[in-house]
Amino acid sequence: MDILISSIVAGLLIGMALALVALGLTIIFGVMDIVNFAHGEFLMIGMYTGLFTAQSTGMDPLLTLPLAALVGFLLGVLCYAGFVRFLLRGPMVAQLLGTFGLMLLLRNIALLIFGSEDRALHHGILVGKSFDVGMEIILPATKLAAAGLSILAFGAVWLFMKKTRIGKALTATALNRQAASYMGIPAERMNALAWGIGVSSVTIAGALLVNFWSVNPYVGLLFTMIAFAIVALGGFGSVPGALFAGLVVGLITEIPGFWDFLTLAFSAEWMENVPMTSFKYMWVYVAYFVIMVVRPRGLFGWKY
Amino acid sequence: MEVLNSAFDFKDFPRLDLTIAALVAVFLAFFPVLPHSSFAMATVIQFLMFSLYGMGWNTIGGYGGQVDLGKAQYVGIGAYTTAVMLTKWDISFWFSMPVGVCFSVLWSFILGYPLFRLKGHYFAIATIATSLVLKDLFEVWDFVGAARGIEISPIQFPSPDFIRLIFKEDVYYYYLILIFFFIGILYMNWFRKSRLGFQLRAIKDNEEVARSLGINVHWAKIRTYAIATAFVSVVGSFHACYIKNIEPEDTMSLDISILIALMAMLGGAGSLWGPIIGAGILIPLKSYLKEWLGARAGLIGIDLIIYALIIMAISAFEPRGIWGIVQKIRRRRR
Repeated sequence: MDILISSIVAGLLIGMALALVALGLTIIFGVMDIVNFAHGEFLMIGMYTGLFTAQSTGMDPLLTLPLAALVGFLLGVLCYAGFVRFLLRGPMVAQLLGTFGLMLLLRNIALLIFGSEDRALHHGILVGKSFDVGMEIILPATKLAAAGLSILAFGAVWLFMKKTRIGKALTATALNRQAASYMGIPAERMNALAWGIGVSSVTIAGALLVNFWSVNPYVGLLFTMIAFAIVALGGFGSVPGALFAGLVVGLITEIPGFWDFLTLAFSAEWMENVPMTSFKYMWVYVAYFVIMVVRPRGLFGWKY
Repeated sequence: MEVLNSAFDFKDFPRLDLTIAALVAVFLAFFPVLPHSSFAMATVIQFLMFSLYGMGWNTIGGYGGQVDLGKAQYVGIGAYTTAVMLTKWDISFWFSMPVGVCFSVLWSFILGYPLFRLKGHYFAIATIATSLVLKDLFEVWDFVGAARGIEISPIQFPSPDFIRLIFKEDVYYYYLILIFFFIGILYMNWFRKSRLGFQLRAIKDNEEVARSLGINVHWAKIRTYAIATAFVSVVGSFHACYIKNIEPEDTMSLDISILIALMAMLGGAGSLWGPIIGAGILIPLKSYLKEWLGARAGLIGIDLIIYALIIMAISAFEPRGIWGIVQKIRRRRR
């Protein structure tokens, strides 16, 4: 029973952070129908930003979030204005491969600058601390903070999209591009803004994740695929969908924990021999495939 | 007979193209006789292999317009079938290759049926997911060596072994893959003029209209996907014998899938020569950049940075590829 509850809690906590990772992807997709392969690479940049700022200035890693957001926003706008703008004129295959090229570029620049070794944070007020809430559930403080701040950032972006004038313009562009441009909403600027917001939300997630996740230049692809799975489940372009689906995918990544629980519950010997932890992320891909085939629109999506 | 006539009929290309193609063919036929380094030989073999991958991709991705980014899984199925059958039961390449094709095609039908309900981006990302799932499975499957992969040790076989396809010299591999390459071109030349080829182009242009003309869109796509798969699987089997050391990471990674699609697109998707042009540019570029900048200058990853910049430039400014540029120039002259 303990394993079950701690797996659920761990899944939900990581799910909140993953939801923030996916938020950027869903905003970008919603506004301009472009699938961004470089998404995980932006996360990696956020992680390196958080790591190096914290290490060089001695600040607590959590205080690096505004800087990560700023870096992300500038990077997003730069990528849009310098590159993605041209992709939008081409066919779909050009968009897919173009953002894949962007991903390779960012990854290998990181490799050239930072080297291929794993880097992790070793200091900070939260690193290494944990709360014991009883029933043998231990909550690492870093994960708790990351989950809480992710929800906060998520809420901020959601409020921005719903309540502010410019955010409403962004939402309108996502809902119906042509109608929005008839209303005088500048589509080009909305695209750039979507890239700015989208990338800055994912770099914030990166700066949060680096508290408990070591970073190397190859970390991106896994998160890109997880973000795709979340966005597919929640619905391409749907913001509340991303939160809900993030929690679900967080639980999916904890399937090995549930497997252990079932193994104990049924005391089945054959179940012990399955190397479930090796399949940890495979379930995310399987879930993604099943969602795409059964309901391509996702749970809350409107685009198909 | 009619099929062969159609396969050998290149009359609809201008004479200039055919002259260049013939010159390249003659060059390839006599390449091993010319003075060359073993590195150049390996690069040309890679070029021929990736041209074949690209031709396979071109059926579904180029003529059919369905962007498939999961071809690496079939490279893996073909390579693993051959490697497992050779190392465990000592079965000849000429038997294991068709078996690998059967496995791949079967798997492609199983996946293709649900996959082709999707369109556009959704299809592309779903193919990536299927490929990654298979790679993850192979990485933990002990029977096929898990993440370590399988190694075929060439010592236990006498060197020119035409049955098992184990050679010490690359020349044998070269001529074998060259024969496959020419067969591939002839097949593609037939394919583009076949009934299925025309159906696919109709589907690419407008799926609704194609359906209203009585084309079974779903089935046409699945069949073409199987053809593409067979191409890739054959070369995958060859890859196992040629490289002799296969791992999930080398044969089934996303990078391979993307590289296959990218070559076809760089050369010009949906044209006969496109994948060959693309492979002819990208493969030498990739391996020589890696050799010069990566290995000698010690700048790890700089080859891939240049490579990424090329991808970005071609997809932003000329998405129809080099063949598209050629066509544009010709149209202007006329």
